[in-house]
Amino acid sequence: MKDEEIDDFLKKAAQAPGNVDPLVLERVCDSIKPSLRPVRPLPPVWQLAAGLVLACAAVSLAGAARAGFFGVAKMTLLERSLVFPALGFLACLAAVSFVHQMIPASRIRVSPGALLAFSSIALLAVFADLFRDYHTDHFFSAGIVCLVTGLLHAIPAGLLSWLILRRGFAVNPAAAGLVAGTLAGLAGVGLLELHCPNFQAAHVLIWHIAVIPVSAALGALLGWQLRFRARSKDL
Amino acid sequence: MARYQQGDFTAATALVHHISPALHRFFLAKSMSRADADDLLQETWLRIHKVRHTYRPGEPALPWFYAIARHIRVDHYRKSIRIAAKERELDEISKEVSTPPHQSGELEALLAPLSESQREVLAMLKVEGMSLEEVARATSSTVGSVKQKVHRAYKKLRETIGAAGSRKWRSGELG
Repeated sequence: MKDEEIDDFLKKAAQAPGNVDPLVLERVCDSIKPSLRPVRPLPPVWQLAAGLVLACAAVSLAGAARAGFFGVAKMTLLERSLVFPALGFLACLAAVSFVHQMIPASRIRVSPGALLAFSSIALLAVFADLFRDYHTDHFFSAGIVCLVTGLLHAIPAGLLSWLILRRGFAVNPAAAGLVAGTLAGLAGVGLLELHCPNFQAAHVLIWHIAVIPVSAALGALLGWQLRFRARSKDL
Repeated sequence: MARYQQGDFTAATALVHHISPALHRFFLAKSMSRADADDLLQETWLRIHKVRHTYRPGEPALPWFYAIARHIRVDHYRKSIRIAAKERELDEISKEVSTPPHQSGELEALLAPLSESQREVLAMLKVEGMSLEEVARATSSTVGSVKQKVHRAYKKLRETIGAAGSRKWRSGELG
């Protein structure tokens, strides 16, 4: 059996008439007519993505301004020039991906899961290369504080992102939530890098980076719940 | 589509008449009754109307319609499962209440051995004549993923049809 033969079978099978009841089409036209007004299309992807990155940067900077820029003050020039550009690049990637998730039929170049994995692994690589203090003082107590602080700042970043993309439409809310959570998590990590002066490798590699997957998981759960609720309303 | 976004009712009507047969066929290909397909078509158009501002002029329109239709279909499928489960909980009615009526078309018979995602991709690509890029957009996946699904679908079809004997198909049962 050759592929061409399968193609022929599919073409033959597809020749079934696709007639729709004219009454159904009439009903559709009647139902959209009363609310047919001009609408403003969404702005270009780059504008929306830039808005998202700026919103996340604003949340990180505002959080650090309130809590103190102890982390960035303690960093060397090399650390600053690697950590923040890496975070910025990943935030841009996540922002573009989030915009694409909120516009039906956008071109998806990176799947949400791959984006989450890439963001986490890329930051792990950068941090592992830069932070080589292998002591572990107050591993859990200090770590939980950083994780919670990062997540608490991811929430406003996520809310602002949603506000910017509120006119969009996610055909897969769980995937959109996962990407939004990844972006918000990056904002949380940004705040931690600006604020936290604890450069112990285990602390940074585990507790700082954990903000991203936890935030992404919460985002996906929220997206899934929203869709679940929307369906429940319909029942 | 751009004129529809500007509020032109003639353009909207033309679009409804032009796109609906393909969307209707898309729903029918998923083992649905004609009545269900009609309902979903109406629901899809209401949703399309609600989110018409998310279409960006210059982008391919067909994947945009299919992405929304696919969203509606997935919702309908999950809803029907939940309704069926609720009905079973209430009075343990027999299976025929919850099982949606199936359309026994040739296309369905041909694609039956494939998984749901493989069927969907193959139907869009070969039946609706969409490109790999358009299918990827409509299914919110990458072109690579679509290619992989098509490759696996063909492999499975070759195995299945080969095993069953291609004579049956060649004898014209499809046409």
